[in-house]
Amino acid sequence: MSDAILIIGGGIAGINAALNAGDYGCKVYLIDDTASIGGMMARLDKTFPTNDCSICIESPLMYEVDNHPNIEILTNTEVRRVKKENGTFTVRLLKKAKFIDEERCTGCGSCVEACPVSVPDELDGKIGGMRKLIFMPFPQAVPNVSVIDPRCRYGKMRELGACVGGCVVDCSQCRECPIALCVKACKEEGKDAVVLWQADRPMDIEIKSIIVATGIRSAEPDTGLYGYNIYGNVITYIQFERLMNAGGPTAGEIIRPSDKKHAQKIAWIQCAGRGLTKGLPYCSKVCCMVATKQTIITKEHDASTETLVFYNDLKAYGKGFWGFYQKAIENGVRYIRARPYDVSEDPKTKNLTIRYEDLDTAEIEEVEVELLVLSTGLVPSERNKRLAKVLKIELDNLGFFKEKDPMLAPLETGVEGIYVCGGATGPIDISESVVQASAASMKAVLK
Amino acid sequence: MNENIRVGVFVCDCGSNIAGIVNVPEVVEYTKGLKHVAFADEGKWSCSVDYLAKMKELIKENDLNRVVIASCTPRTHEPLFKRTVKEAGVNPYLLEFVSIREQVSWVHRADPSKATEKVKDLVRMGVAKAVLLEEGEEIRLSVKTDCLVIGGGMAGMTAALNIADQGFHAILVEKESRLGGLLNRLSVVCHDHVKLEAAEIVKAKVALVESHQNIKVYTNAEIEAVEGYIGNYKVTLKANGSNETFDASTVIVATGMQEIEPVGQFQYGSDPRVVTQVQLEGLLRGDEVGQVKDVVIVNCVNSKNESRGCCTIGCSVSVKNALALKMLNKDIRVDILYRDLSMVREEGSDLETAKRAGVKFIRFPDDRYPEVTKEDGNLGVRVYDILLGKEFTLPSDLVVLTTGFKGDDTCEAIKGHLKVSTNPDGFFQEAHIKLGPLDFPSDGISLCGCARSPKNLKDSCEEGAGAAMRASIPMKRGYLEAEGIVADIDLDVCNSCGLCAKNCPYGAIKWEDEKPNVIKALCKGCGLCAADCPKNAISIIHYSDEQILAQVDAALEERPEEKIIGFVCHWCALGGVDMAGVSRLQYPTNARLIRVMCSARVAIKFIERAFELGAAGVLVAGCEFPTCHYITGNYAAEERIKRAKKRLARKGYDPEKLWNVWCSAADGPKFANTMRDMVKELGLE
Ligand SMILES: Cc1cc2nc3c(=O)[nH]c(=O)nc-3n(C[C@H](O)[C@H](O)[C@H](O)COP(=O)(O)OP(=O)(O)OC[C@H]3O[C@@H](n4cnc5c(N)ncnc54)[C@H](O)[C@@H]3O)c2cc1C
Ligand SMILES: Cc1cc2nc3c(=O)[nH]c(=O)nc-3n(C[C@H](O)[C@H](O)[C@H](O)COP(=O)(O)OP(=O)(O)OC[C@H]3O[C@@H](n4cnc5c(N)ncnc54)[C@H](O)[C@@H]3O)c2cc1C
Ligand code: SF4
Ligand code: SF4
Repeated sequence: MSDAILIIGGGIAGINAALNAGDYGCKVYLIDDTASIGGMMARLDKTFPTNDCSICIESPLMYEVDNHPNIEILTNTEVRRVKKENGTFTVRLLKKAKFIDEERCTGCGSCVEACPVSVPDELDGKIGGMRKLIFMPFPQAVPNVSVIDPRCRYGKMRELGACVGGCVVDCSQCRECPIALCVKACKEEGKDAVVLWQADRPMDIEIKSIIVATGIRSAEPDTGLYGYNIYGNVITYIQFERLMNAGGPTAGEIIRPSDKKHAQKIAWIQCAGRGLTKGLPYCSKVCCMVATKQTIITKEHDASTETLVFYNDLKAYGKGFWGFYQKAIENGVRYIRARPYDVSEDPKTKNLTIRYEDLDTAEIEEVEVELLVLSTGLVPSERNKRLAKVLKIELDNLGFFKEKDPMLAPLETGVEGIYVCGGATGPIDISESVVQASAASMKAVLK
Repeated sequence: MNENIRVGVFVCDCGSNIAGIVNVPEVVEYTKGLKHVAFADEGKWSCSVDYLAKMKELIKENDLNRVVIASCTPRTHEPLFKRTVKEAGVNPYLLEFVSIREQVSWVHRADPSKATEKVKDLVRMGVAKAVLLEEGEEIRLSVKTDCLVIGGGMAGMTAALNIADQGFHAILVEKESRLGGLLNRLSVVCHDHVKLEAAEIVKAKVALVESHQNIKVYTNAEIEAVEGYIGNYKVTLKANGSNETFDASTVIVATGMQEIEPVGQFQYGSDPRVVTQVQLEGLLRGDEVGQVKDVVIVNCVNSKNESRGCCTIGCSVSVKNALALKMLNKDIRVDILYRDLSMVREEGSDLETAKRAGVKFIRFPDDRYPEVTKEDGNLGVRVYDILLGKEFTLPSDLVVLTTGFKGDDTCEAIKGHLKVSTNPDGFFQEAHIKLGPLDFPSDGISLCGCARSPKNLKDSCEEGAGAAMRASIPMKRGYLEAEGIVADIDLDVCNSCGLCAKNCPYGAIKWEDEKPNVIKALCKGCGLCAADCPKNAISIIHYSDEQILAQVDAALEERPEEKIIGFVCHWCALGGVDMAGVSRLQYPTNARLIRVMCSARVAIKFIERAFELGAAGVLVAGCEFPTCHYITGNYAAEERIKRAKKRLARKGYDPEKLWNVWCSAADGPKFANTMRDMVKELGLE
């Protein structure tokens, strides 16, 4: 029987599960369907409740995984088919082309410099983040290689000035390219690692157990929610997180989208988009502490910035969380127990007026701020549905993976040998993800 | 040093990434002239498969016994080159990595000639260190497969079962007369609509534990002593009146928690109708609630105040028990007085059920707790309802207090045995709250369940399994391995002052026969002990005083007055330096950086030496607080820098020329700005 383990999702949960199982002596395949491992944590600035820098504590683990003799990382890789026989899973993986020879690319960035087209970044676009059509997922990416926007190859970016596309044949038909500037730049570096004609590569592996660690997403609010997507200075909490981050699109300057000025008065609306009839029907657990963290860091950047948090019930449930909240209050953060019901924009200043009912006084009040942050909650990965189908395990009504018996057999799914951990089980913070990853890896190696 | 030292230097072009700015051929020529350098080569892509193969050949052909690689950054590429030199037959500890892409070509694009000069200096520094390098090896400490589990609640039992299922041996020690912990005192346990009798859960688990051939259970047992370290614990136990001693390789702490009894508050202790949640659970369990009509539950008792946070489980316990009372008799009036309802995803639905069942929720202000009143023998609870904006008194014949929690009474003793720490409430302190939640700083001891912090049953059991995994890794491998970068004490010089043993964050220095003894496999090589040893008795392999001072000397051989010596920690500070590189932030060329594992390694004598030799300035760079790869090394470094400044002043140097920066791995701009500021303030522009 195979002694190998497949871990699906390379966020902090997947990374920890991989290191545990790898150190234990099992062969581990760690796959992620994006171009790098790291997950959400790689994009965060600091982490509550200690304000440790997120990438500082995560990237050493990413390098450790990368250099681990028992762990094989497969990025841009999806699970396509799973068959279980006599306790062994046969899994068909599909490694989707990055159009880069991962063995040859050294991540030097010459191709990126050569690429003529910048487009808004998937994550940071709204707050000014741009990337080229060939790009590094983020500076600490593992594997540290470039990846090409697949749209580029099919000529879909021609009108933006992309160099390739519009040829009589598709890139997949060629074996060299005289046109693409990235190909040329890489050749000039002597590497020749850009392979526009690279094909997806199927791969079959045999394993004894599977850990699902596909994580969470930050919810994207509907257009119009508190003026989101209508007023330029209404952003989500993940976008704010990126604004604070020295490695983000503004190099850590907390500037608002409309005029790139430092915001001097910022409000957070908690539970934005949450409701019993419409929107998220549950509490996402981490948002109160995320907002608390964001206010503290904002104050660290500039103590004179005014910060207001509109909240309903404060979730300060974990170890060290209450003290963290106390620290925010000491730093002058104002928490207002309130139900905001309307936001409007001053067309001239682009400032936002929030009208709310103060739940402590039952008064209707209003306040003007320069930047509004919506704490929109955590939702399951939209790819969970497909994965659940392939793995033949169930999702709950919210789209998270269902545990067969959460109380007595936590992290076990309906199929023996398949376990879940981290955000894949529901909203969760980093430390709980790490705990679950250790537990899931225990179950997986014991299989 | 009798051996014939032959250093090989490999300078990488990184395509045009380095060679486009730095005159690599000139560097190679220069290098060949350095003492002990037997060979130097330029590689277009040093990390390519072709060149690595060539490098191995060249190492063998030229009989090289020291290797210096000048290329990108050790943070990503050092493991690769270490493997390569090893394959070429050279001990990997004889490799020195010099970063010339992130630290030079990417950040000094405007000045190729100065960049080239800087690379020459950096390579010279690398060679100076390489010459002094000594062979090293990973250090192994053998670990057998006996695991001591302290505490027989659900977390401890789960951990023991997971250990035992691997064929390892678990010794489960419980101080009470039976296993089960808190669950022995609860009525039903509820999670996400599912309700189970606590007694049933315990019964099933205990059956598994007691029938497992690999688990030895001691009840009514007290830990008298635990001595030693991973792989070598000696445990003394007092069980049923007699003492017993056995060996263990690893330890799991699962000692659970207790309610903080609110004696003297809310009439608790003076009126039997005022109880805690655990007491209510006991009444429910024994069907002894009796004929009550009006129950008032007060949440957040002794929680969420200056000294203590949220009790984590109180809200859902209060909702569960309110529903249980309603089930008993739907006419019982139940009011829950609360501050915030801290109920997450799966618990939210229970809340709705409770509301539908007629449980009333009344929110009171944070600074105005309800009061329990007694008039003519009748109990009442006076509460200010925020929503209604008024105060009233609820009549009550049973008041239930949802109290805060603390660690087990024995935590002080356990702390002493295992040399670990707790927070003021007696909950054990994990190695790292985010990434090491189940570990203690010392290898071999893990932590789980409510001994760490209050949590529900699911989380406690997850932690039990997780802690078992952490303990199992070294048991499965049969050893604990440390990188060869470790402390080494010269006992002839040591005067037994004890400072090192006191300061080591990992408890790696044990006191044996009045002398310190480094348990090498436990040492993480931070160098804190060496930097502070008053007798200079401690050396860190691969980062010895001699080696670091040789780098300082080499850096300042020429025009020291233009140079800034920077000591940067391998983790965040070098991460920040690399980030500045990746982001192509441009800054002046004056710095000559010396890598140390932790800023705590930087001894005052290193700083002094730089000033003696005429350096323009010195920079110490470490991780931004509170992050430190070695728990608290940067705090120690900060203290030491203060002392260094005083000493510099006494010796007539300008203390203002000693700078420090605490920077995160994302913070390229911070490092680049520091360089610019230093150059400006030191008048080097
Ligand atoms: C704005 C914001 C701030 C936060 N701040 C904090 C904080 O300060 N402290 C804290 O403790 N927590 C914080 N969190 C929560 C934290 O991000 C999560 O707890 C953590 O990231 C969960 O880790 P994970 O590994 O489970 O999931 P993720 O980090 O989401 O990783 C999942 C990985 O799986 C991959 N994946 C998904 N689907 C598939 C598939 N089908 N096939 C292959 N791969 C797949 C994804 O690409 C991703 O790489 C914050 C969250 C947000 C949104
Ligand atoms: C009132 C109440 C209601 C609850 N209701 C629910 C619920 O409905 N749903 C839910 O999911 N969770 C509930 N919980 C939480 C749940 O009970 C805990 O998560 C779980 O029992 C914790 O298990 P543990 O093993 O970590 O700790 P414990 O159960 O406290 O076990 C610790 C054990 O260690 C022993 N011990 C301590 N020190 C030593 C020592 N020095 N040497 C030897 N042995 C020692 C103790 O005697 C004890 O047996 C509730 C908790 C309380 C207080
Ligand atoms: S600090 Fe130095 S002198 Fe003091 S005990 Fe340790 S090694 Fe000996
Ligand atoms: S180097 Fe650090 S870990 Fe090692 S003994 Fe010294 S203080 Fe302890």
